[in-house]
Order: sequence, then structure tokens, then C-alpha cells
Amino acid sequence: MTAFSLLVNGVEHTMEAPAGAFLLDVLRDSLGLAGTKEACAEGECGSCTVLVDGEPVDSCILFAGQVEGRKITTVEGLGGDGLHPVQEAFNALGAVQCGFCTPGFVVAAAALLDRVGSPTPDQVREELAGNLCRCTGYDNIVAAVVSAGAASEASVASAASVASGVRGGGS
Amino acid sequence: MTAIPETVGRSSGRLDGEAKITGRFEYGVDAARPGMLWARLARSTQPHARIVSIDTSAALAVPGVYAVLTGADTEGFVGSRYVRDEPILATGTVRYAGEPIAAVAADTEEAAEEACRAIVVEYESLPVVESVDDALAEDAPIIHPEWESYWVSPIINRPGGNVVSHATLRRGDVDAVFATADRVFEDTYEVPLVHQASLEGRVAIAEVDDDGKVHVWSSHQYPWGLRQDISDILHIPLDDVRVTVTGVGGGFGGKLYAGVEPYCIVLALATGRPVKLRLTREEELTATSPRMGATVHLRTAVASDGTFLAREGRLDYDSGAYAESSPGVVSVGLMTLPGPYRWQALAVDARAIYTNKAGCGSYRGPGAPQAVFAGESQVDRIAREMGIDPLQLRLHNAVRDGDQGPTGQVLEGVSLVETLHAAADKIGWDSAGAGEGRGRGLSCTWWTTTGLPSSADLRLGEDGSLVLVTGATEIGTGAVMAGVAQICAGELGVDPGDLTIESADTETTPYDFGAQGSRTMVAAGNAAIAAASDLKDQMFDLAAAKLGCSPDDLELADGEVRDRDDPDAVLTLADVARLAGTGNGLVGSGTYEQPGTPFDTDSVVGAMIGAFNIPSFATHACEVSVDLATGEVSLDRYVIAQDVGKVVNPRYCEGQLTGGAVQGIGQAMFEEIVYRDGHVQNPNFTDYKLPTMADLPPIEAVMVEVPSASGPYGAKGVGEQGVIGPPPAIANAVRDATGRAIRRLPITAERVWAALRGEES
Ligand code: FES
Ligand code: FES
Repeated sequence: MTAFSLLVNGVEHTMEAPAGAFLLDVLRDSLGLAGTKEACAEGECGSCTVLVDGEPVDSCILFAGQVEGRKITTVEGLGGDGLHPVQEAFNALGAVQCGFCTPGFVVAAAALLDRVGSPTPDQVREELAGNLCRCTGYDNIVAAVVSAGAASEASVASAASVASGVRGGGS
Repeated sequence: MTAIPETVGRSSGRLDGEAKITGRFEYGVDAARPGMLWARLARSTQPHARIVSIDTSAALAVPGVYAVLTGADTEGFVGSRYVRDEPILATGTVRYAGEPIAAVAADTEEAAEEACRAIVVEYESLPVVESVDDALAEDAPIIHPEWESYWVSPIINRPGGNVVSHATLRRGDVDAVFATADRVFEDTYEVPLVHQASLEGRVAIAEVDDDGKVHVWSSHQYPWGLRQDISDILHIPLDDVRVTVTGVGGGFGGKLYAGVEPYCIVLALATGRPVKLRLTREEELTATSPRMGATVHLRTAVASDGTFLAREGRLDYDSGAYAESSPGVVSVGLMTLPGPYRWQALAVDARAIYTNKAGCGSYRGPGAPQAVFAGESQVDRIAREMGIDPLQLRLHNAVRDGDQGPTGQVLEGVSLVETLHAAADKIGWDSAGAGEGRGRGLSCTWWTTTGLPSSADLRLGEDGSLVLVTGATEIGTGAVMAGVAQICAGELGVDPGDLTIESADTETTPYDFGAQGSRTMVAAGNAAIAAASDLKDQMFDLAAAKLGCSPDDLELADGEVRDRDDPDAVLTLADVARLAGTGNGLVGSGTYEQPGTPFDTDSVVGAMIGAFNIPSFATHACEVSVDLATGEVSLDRYVIAQDVGKVVNPRYCEGQLTGGAVQGIGQAMFEEIVYRDGHVQNPNFTDYKLPTMADLPPIEAVMVEVPSASGPYGAKGVGEQGVIGPPPAIANAVRDATGRAIRRLPITAERVWAALRGEES
């Protein structure tokens, strides 16, 4: 057993875990953050996606020891105290059926929106192809990510137009 | 039919949505019990062998191990619901690679795994039966030499040897009709095994209390079926078994039977501790009840104007090493091989055949994709070779209201023609003939809404709270947490969000036949309507006495009971609940059972399903482009037009069509459990390729509404049918693009490339 300290969802945790422990198992078993799911344990499905310094990673194949001192975000911490817009869009647009893929998807989608703002449907299909869903057929997931992106773009645009005092101006 | 409430037809949210998007929803994999041990299974490394010896001494010595059980400890515990042929732990012989040989409980999963690896098994290899053709060969090794001693469900026809079951359909004089035909078409098609691949695999916990009562928590689709299986397999009285369904991370038919649960129970009994078992993806893909493969021989007799006359077919389904649900599934082949067309005569034989592969089970639309790939591919060949447009040929032969189905049932609410037009319009069929390397394809399907009972209680609490208690299981579709919620809330004049649903526990909820056969929203929805009606009657009686009016003057809306004629005569739900004076509010109860559909019982032998209840119809249309140099197929457009009877929740209803279609596209283009010498070659998501969002165009879904007489507000079953149509629709489009028929799934670039070079696929 080795002592670790991990910064997860803004909280510093110190714990003991075997040296070869995967981040996913530490999150689920040691920290009780069971929202992150395992469906393949081989880096092939994206169900276990979490953010490390804002970048999506498969936590099932990442040693916990590799991410000491980095900022880890899981589905439980994605929206801070509330919901991230992408979570709301998933719920509102029927992107959730069994929901087993949902935590991995919303986390990966949030990172995508952070990076590109308002993606097109084709961009979403390209960028989130590493996340598998067996229930929905993906269309509602694509729609939810596009809609959350467009909404945040619109709110950024309206904030910018207010700031610049130009009606209808964009950023 | 009652008036349609306002809540029906809206894309409301689902009651479990918030828990799922926040990660708070508890699935089977998340469940735990105090003092719980972990189980792992040691599995056969041989596809067919005699077990000479098993040495567990090193396993027992692994620190943290509490119990190691082998077949000697579980003698007489034999599974498979219809043919009792599958010992939970192998005794004497192993019949597929991956078959459980020993079950271990330890304080960690790692220790249990280490103990499994420490078990030493000595085998004596037996010849491996790799295919149905091998199994039927005259000198084939018999996989179950003692087959005659097995208990068998009475309806099943068992010829013996390697044939698990043989179901037949005979209607009219096939030979005579074939003799009158202008054209006869004959083809053979082949479909490999594919897997449900729910993202959450099979997982359960069992706990045994001091009185010997067993409590199982399982990610399952059919808790009462599981309870019966456990009782039958382990000889525990039914009432000593309780099943509680956890959150379910996908099922698709893979969680309808006992799977991991018996191991948890025998280990819990052996250790006195709760025991949890979850399977790895590799175990899922090698050892858990996939969809059967099949070889399909098909002959069709056609008149010169394209009228279908007679069809004769033989479906040889690959059941794997054990019967599991195959005897039931093969009878679906009798219903679906003819397709939704008019025939003068039919002769279909459907057999389940033992091979040395994992025992096969049920997967969404069980039995149908194999048959329909053959049937609808051949319809396309008939059209093209007779110079008839494939759409027109289907319209010409389509069943209509009042026609008979393949077993003589009288068809009602028939919507095939509507779906054909809807799909053709959507894809723009008239402008077909997409040009070099491009093509379009169609396929038609029909499907059932399984009946059998569902019951519900509806509790009105003294605080005005409403709780629907249903035995129905929410496996993700939204049938319960959106559809039934909307139906029930609508009947009560409240919002779905005002309702709480408790579901799927054999001890605390009333019976339901399970999330199978596209039945949940129809059956549980009707039960909820009945419970709401009972509750309303009780409420109106109490309220009328209090308000001094007749119950007939009252209405229930906006969370109030009120006199239609007197605006001041109003009671809240809480007021009414307290009027009951029970201290515990009121309970309404309701049960629904779809009466069986009559059919010509003499037309079938050995069939567990003889008619499709509340039948529904669908047409798929797609457009592909094929790279003629490499054989690579790109799916450019995909349309599914399916009759749903009545849309209750557009978003989740459409989600069933698109989700089903994409699973079918997976079977058409990507998925196959590849066996070589009895071993699965691709037991992971790298090599067993599920469709990703990058592989797919948007699915264009059209929800056709031709109401049924008995579904809620006319609704029909929706869940399964979408998975059936894609393989032939895509094969037909590839044929249109290349002029080559692909007769084996999946339609990979290699296979198309070979076909382009004139090699048989
Ligand atoms: S569980 Fe990590 S990628 Fe599948
Ligand atoms: S919603 Fe079930 S896997 Fe995506």
C-alpha cells in the first residue's frame, strides 16, 4: 500500500491504495464516488471518463499514482453545486436511457464544449466517438451536446454584447 | 378506450433522469451489503472435454478465501428454463470454453480471482462441434449423450441427438402451390452469434438470513422469472426467495433468466455472508447467452406478376452448448420467416441445435433478425430478378386488415402499407437508382406485443402524495419512468413529476411478467389505468359523501377533486385521503392481462409462440455508398418507419426506434462473436466492434400511429422491432450499389470486396 493524495472535485483526499491501483477503482471504492462507471476496463468504451486538468481520460487504465497533484473532475463535481448545462441538456433531450454511459458522456462532452465552444453535429460525432452507448442510437446524445454548446455560445454572446453595449453584437 | 389525458403525447422528462445525469443512480454494480464477500468463477479452458480431476487445494490456501465450490458441491443444481441441461458448475464434462467449473468467495475480488487461477483442472479433450452443420453430421459427437434423461417443458418437440428442439409450421399444400409457380427462388443465408453487450454486465448480490430466506439484488429484467429459476435450479421454496431489482444498465434480453445469481446464493449459503458477483467484459462476450447464429435455407414460389405463392424454409439456429431460451426463440422463426405478406402455403422448420459454444439466449427481437435477414434479402432478389420495383413488390404482397398471419391469426390494426409509404417518402424512394457505387435498400418487419399479466397498486397518502407500485422493471427504455408515469399521472389529473414509482421487487410490488416482448408500457400502462380507475372510484365515493353530491358529478384535475357544477365544492387529494380514516390513505389496485390471440393451433408443432399479440409493422429504408476498390460500405442515410399505435412520449418512443435500429446496424455491419476451434477470438470491445456515433448517420425515425384496440390509448409494443430490419435493408442497398448479394453477416469490407470479385460471401 502507498499513501496518495488526490484532488478530486476541488477536495483534497489522502488515502492508502495499492501501488498499481487504477484511478477508477480509487474513485469508486476508496472515495465512494460511484458515479463513474466501468464497462470494459480496457480503455475501449469511455464509461469511466473523468477529467484530469480538464482533459478527458479513461480512468480504468490510468494509475492513480500518475495523477497525484492534478485536478480531477468526475460526474459528481462537473456542475459545481448545480448541474452542468450538458447534464441538463442530456436529461431534457432524451439522451439518457439506461444511463450507464451517461456519466462518461457528460464529462467528455463538457471537456469538448470547453475546448471548442459550440460544436457541429459532425464534430460531436468525431470527437465523442470513443464513448459507447448501447441504448440510444446516439442521436439524442449528439443533439444534447450540440444544444448545450449552442446555448452556452449564445449566453457568452449575449454577455459579450451587454459588455460592449452593442445590441445584437456577437463575440 | 378512455379519453386521452394531456400528459400523453408529450416529451416529458423521465422520473429517474436527474439521478442518472448526476451519477447518483444506483446500478447493480454499485450495490453493496454489509460484510459482503466477492465471488469469481473459474472457467473451462476447453470447448469440449471430460474433466479428469479438479484440485482446489491451492485455491483454498489463498489468503482471504472463504469458499471454493465445484460441481461436486452443486450436484443436482441444473439450469435452463425449458430443457434442464445446464449444471451451474460443470460435472464430468465441459461443453464450451468459458463454462463455469468452480465458484470462489473471498474478501476481495482480487483474492477470489487469484484462487480461481490456482485451481488445477485436468481435462481429456473431446472432439469439438463448431457449427450446426458439424452437429448434424451423421458421425457427429453427441454433446449431451444423456439428453433423454433431462426434464423438458411439455410443449417442446425433441427429436434428440444434437437437436434441442424442432418447431414446425405447415399451412396449405406447399408442394401443390410450388408446382403452379412461375418462378422459384432458392437461397441460403448465414448469421453469426452476436451479443446484447449492455454496458452494465450481469451482476448480483445474494444474502441468506437466519431462517434460510434468500434475498437477491440483481440487475435484471424479470424478477419473478428469476425467482422461479432460482427456486427450480436450487430447490428452494419459491416463497423463500425474494428478488429486488437494482438499477439496470441495459438488458436487451440478456438479463431475463438466472445468470450470476445461483452462484451468489450457493456461496452465500456456504459462507454465511452476502456475496456479490459481477462479470468482466470478457466473461460477458464468451459465456453469457448471446443471440443464436443461424443457417437459413429458403425457397419461395412466385407468380409471374410478382404475387407471392408459397414459402418453404429451414432455420437451423445455433443454440450453443445449452438450451437456455432457444426452444422459445426458434418458434419466433416460424412467425417471422414468412414476413408480413400474404401466402397460399407455408412450410417452415425451425430447429435449435447444440454446438460447443456458449449457451445462447434472448436478445431484443429474439429469433427474428436471422429469419428476416433471409426473408427480406430474398424478397429483394425476387424484385430485382423479376424487374419489379422492391417497394411495389412489397406493397403488392403486404398483409392488410383482416388477412391471416402465418399461423392463421386474423390481423387487426395492420399498418405495413402505411409504414412502406412513410419510409419510401422519407428516403425519396421514387428517385432511387442512386448511381455507381451507391444504392438503396428496403426491408419490412412485423412484431408482437407480448401479453401476460401486469398489476399495479396506486397509493394516495394522507399528505396527498401518490405512489405507483408496479412490478414492471425499468431497464432504460423509459417505458416505466416516462411512459407509465405519464399514463398514470394523466389518469389522475396530475403531473408525472407529482408521482413516485416503486417497482420490481417480488416481495413489495405486485406481479409483472417482465421487461420482455415489447410489453412493458402496454401491460403496465393498462394496469396503471386500472389502478387509477379503482382509486378514483374510491376517492369519488368518499368525496361525494362529504360534498353531498353524486360521484358522477365529480372530476379529478389539477390535484383536486371537484364538483363540475359547483366551483366551491373542492377537496384536495390530501383531504380525500384523510376522509378514508384509515390513517394510511387509500390504495387503488388494477390488473391487466392481454387475452391470447386465437390462431390455427393445428398449424404448428413444438412452438412456444403461435401468434403475435397486438401486432405492429415497420419498414426500414437506407442509402449506402460502396467503395468499389476496397468494398468499404458507408451508411449514408437510415430511415425507420414503425407503427407504434399511439405515441405516449415522442422523445423516448423515438429513442426505441433509433436505439433499436442502431443495434440492428451493428449486427448488419460490425458485430460477430468470432469462434475458432471452439474459442472466442474477440472477447473485448476492441475486436467485438459496437457501432460508435462516428459510424452512423442520423437515424430518421417516423412514428406511424395506427391504433390498437387494447393498448393504452391505442399504443402498441415498441421496444424490440427496430433491431430486426437493418441487416436486410443494408444488404439490399449494397446489392443495389454493387449488383452483388451478401448472404452472410456482418457486411464487412472484406466480404463485399470478395463479392465484388465474384467470390461467394
Ligand atoms: S471502462 Fe474505461 S474505457 Fe471502458
Ligand atoms: S443510455 Fe444505456 S448505454 Fe447509453
